[in-house]
Amino acid sequence: MIYAIYVLIGLSVLFALAGVVGMLRFPDSFCRMQSSTNISTFGVLGVILGGVLWSIFVFDTPDWAMAVKLLVMGVFYIITSPIAGHAIAKAAYKKGVRPEKEMVCDKYGEDLENAD
Amino acid sequence: MKKTKFSAFLSTAIVCYIFWLLITGQIASIFTGGASMQVLLAGAVVSVITALFSARFFIHSKAFWLFNPLRFIIWVFYCLIIFMWELTKANIDVALRAFGFKKINPGIVKIETELKSEYAQSMLANSITLTPGTITMDIAEGNGKTYYYIHWIDASTDHIDEAGDNIKGTMEKWIRRIWE
Repeated sequence: MIYAIYVLIGLSVLFALAGVVGMLRFPDSFCRMQSSTNISTFGVLGVILGGVLWSIFVFDTPDWAMAVKLLVMGVFYIITSPIAGHAIAKAAYKKGVRPEKEMVCDKYGEDLENAD
Repeated sequence: MKKTKFSAFLSTAIVCYIFWLLITGQIASIFTGGASMQVLLAGAVVSVITALFSARFFIHSKAFWLFNPLRFIIWVFYCLIIFMWELTKANIDVALRAFGFKKINPGIVKIETELKSEYAQSMLANSITLTPGTITMDIAEGNGKTYYYIHWIDASTDHIDEAGDNIKGTMEKWIRRIWE
């Protein structure tokens, strides 16, 4: 079981690394936010799942209370992080942040201009 | 200000109490014995007070919708299987793009949804934002339909239906089963 936990935590570290590399490499703020979602989903979920398995199988007596608390942490993380991401993306666009590289299509900008 | 209905208050209080049991660890000690009566009572008082204030923000339509076991099971199934599968695919895709094995091709597309309930719409928007590679930027209504504006890291098409099929995948179908 302990090797399964190592694999889970290792995978999540790998995805967190991918998120950080993406945040540094991607050209504009919106793409960087896409990459940060990588960290906030698998990067967190893998560690939390590993912690749950650890507190059930590796401790001498299974600590169910800690396992449930970790799961609740994961649930709250999953509920709150997309709301923050959505708010930041919308605020950045309305404030006038535009990618340096031309986007393939920008329906949002077109519709905002038509509405004015 | 909207008035708090009693059914909304009751379901919010129940949800608050379940979360109290979870985070204080009492749910484990109920099964093994030795749950502390003080903690249980304090939790009841706190969840009633919280529900009095927050029920009108938390419940907007039918209060006991998710208490139906069938809908709850579909909801858990969606979260653990359908959504996790979409999440895995998208995570690997964006990780490959981050390391430079694939090119990025960003754009903002507009997609249409047929969901009517506001819980379903926000759940779909949150699911789309949570999958790496797509962020819901805004939601708009027009001509009796609901549209999302989505920043997509691989905008292979800007057609409203093709992009919608690509982004929503099977998620919309399952969300409709939960909420409608």
